[in-house]
Amino acid sequence: MVLIPAYVPSEFISMYLTAIYAGLIVGFIGSMAIAMRREEIHILILTDLIGLAMIFVVSAVGTDLAEALILPGLVVELAETLAISEILISREMHKIDANPRANLNKSTSLFPQPFALDMEIMTTAPNFIALVLIAYGIFLTGFTGGAVAGGGIVLYALSKKARGLPVLVIDGLAGVSGIAWCLWIIGFALFFVSPSLWLLSLFLAACGLLLKVASKVGLIGLLMREDIDKE
Amino acid sequence: MIDVQLFFYFGIVLAIVGSLATAWGPGVKDPIVRTFNTEVASIGVCLVLLSYNHVLALLTLVATTVVITLILFRAIIRLEEMGADV
Repeated sequence: MVLIPAYVPSEFISMYLTAIYAGLIVGFIGSMAIAMRREEIHILILTDLIGLAMIFVVSAVGTDLAEALILPGLVVELAETLAISEILISREMHKIDANPRANLNKSTSLFPQPFALDMEIMTTAPNFIALVLIAYGIFLTGFTGGAVAGGGIVLYALSKKARGLPVLVIDGLAGVSGIAWCLWIIGFALFFVSPSLWLLSLFLAACGLLLKVASKVGLIGLLMREDIDKE
Repeated sequence: MIDVQLFFYFGIVLAIVGSLATAWGPGVKDPIVRTFNTEVASIGVCLVLLSYNHVLALLTLVATTVVITLILFRAIIRLEEMGADV
């Protein structure tokens, strides 16, 4: 006996089994390929396929629940890829530290040519455009607003010339992230304690998500700046 | 009249073919080629999400795919620069 809500369209019900089987096939292919490879970076790339299989299985639900579940799944996958790639890089650095004579050619980077952005618009415009993007992102709130505001932060970070990430900035971003989690959790708890305050709790959660996503996207932009502003 | 189911099945076929190409396709010894092949599968997933009307999920998938590709390229290039066997 399968319980299907009445508002699910009949086309989605007829597509359900196909989507589940497709997800299983994609996940099986990904897992077999992971089992057959040795190098960690290949395994990290193949993990994407498992994420796609997850999206298939979740999207087969076909209602708003699917949309609400896909968003955090994708964001967690993104954070996981970022963390594991950093771990791989730092482990390779430790190997070089242990055996310094092995190989050190400091020639390649994300942009092999010196990539100096000496355009006049990169020095005058970013203040205004970043301000507009961040203001519009705060107005939107939620995930989309976080992405827009983060785009503003990335633009500002890429166009300014300062190299290196001060400790104060990392601490500040971590603090903002903590405040965002607190807002989100308070909103979530308030939603169950007193459902009549649903608008307040919705906006608490939306503002928390805005801070969270904007600070994450801005942090990725600061990481990228290390590669781009190479003299 | 274009059938929605057409997009759905085409997306599924594209996703399966793309994941096969990522796993055992030609030239996947190079991690950059392998990263590009995952894009084919993710376009298939985009079509499936389109046929289900999941707009927000589709936008997020596109955005995170771009960011994940950038992160993977950065990792691959850093590892190759340090002489690891990739």
